[in-house]
Amino acid sequence: MWKKLAAAAIAAALPLASHAAPEAYTVDPYHSFPYFEADHYGFTWIRGRFDRMVGRFTIDPAAKTGTVDLSIQTATITTGDNDRGDRPRSRDEHLRTPDFFNVAEFPSMTFRGNATKWNGDAPAVIDGQLTLLGVSKPLALTVIHWKCGPDPRTQGKRQMCGGNFTSSFRRSDFGMTFLLPGVGDEVKLWIGMEAFRN
Amino acid sequence: MSRKLTACLFVAALPLAAGAAPESYTIDPYHTVPYWETDHLGFATMRGRFEKPTGKFTIDTAAKTGTLEIVIETKTLSTGDPERDGRPRTRDEHLRSADFFNVAEFPTMTYKATSLKFKGDAPEVIEGDLTLLGVTKPVPLRILRWKCGPDPRTQGKRYQCGGNATGVFKRSDFGMKFGVGPIGDEVTLWMSFYGFRQ
Repeated sequence: MWKKLAAAAIAAALPLASHAAPEAYTVDPYHSFPYFEADHYGFTWIRGRFDRMVGRFTIDPAAKTGTVDLSIQTATITTGDNDRGDRPRSRDEHLRTPDFFNVAEFPSMTFRGNATKWNGDAPAVIDGQLTLLGVSKPLALTVIHWKCGPDPRTQGKRQMCGGNFTSSFRRSDFGMTFLLPGVGDEVKLWIGMEAFRN
Repeated sequence: MSRKLTACLFVAALPLAAGAAPESYTIDPYHTVPYWETDHLGFATMRGRFEKPTGKFTIDTAAKTGTLEIVIETKTLSTGDPERDGRPRTRDEHLRSADFFNVAEFPTMTYKATSLKFKGDAPEVIEGDLTLLGVTKPVPLRILRWKCGPDPRTQGKRYQCGGNATGVFKRSDFGMKFGVGPIGDEVTLWMSFYGFRQ
């Protein structure tokens, strides 16, 4: 009887124990994209995207801890203007020059942070450091949507988490001052991201 | 005195008359970028865009009327997944197939305004029809930002209007039913736009 009870108790505890351990995830680069917006001469918000972001995170909802490590390839910036036509350069080419992202010297921008606020089992705020043009400054990502569960594309064999995140920063804080203030200093950031459990 | 007064009134009336005439604008394809977003499996929001739309609009702020027509080449869609990387096809290639935008059969989608609602001198809501996959349905666009003035990039020689607009539609209303459920039916549009006065 005691042995049976002990076995049952261990069996019952196992899922909790495995749940409480931090789980590691790898970012799915095909479904993870940072988008940004900046004011354009007071007329409009212009939007752009980075086409390749890789990274990983760990999450432990029981302990309310998590870490995230993202790397964005700056050369993959696209804003819908990649063809020169009869102009000397496209906007995307210009954005890759030292005037803006200087992709030759700084091929990646990174974000590393920790989940500091939680909303139940979901992270609510990720406090970290954005490194852009070699300059690191604090940046907080607000989690506006978060879900973990089996990936329906694999009949549930693969576990995934996904979410949407927003933040904003001043590009001048990172030394990107070209065309200020015509092209806005405040950059709004939006990230849609999915990741697979390792 | 009477003649002077008449002349004075005439001169004073001129700018009003000029302002009252409808003005024609040509869409700037480099800064007019329609983006869309939709839910992906409930985990994250996926965005995409179309590049280099063409079109024109007219606006008469005194009469509070206007017209708008935008033509989008469906094959320009881009979601940040252009490389196959060993897969049979990219997402962008799949989106161009008959499952989604069917760009071979429907190379363009169009938006045509039927009426404008104004708030003061600025349009606030565009009532109009979206034609997608050969199906025409009303999709109102809400103007988030609107500004007209001299283009600072031309030392004021060119006059422009620009802004941002957003709208929502169900893709199934246009017959685009592939993956509805796992991939959201509701599509949110967001665009930056500029027009140069002719």
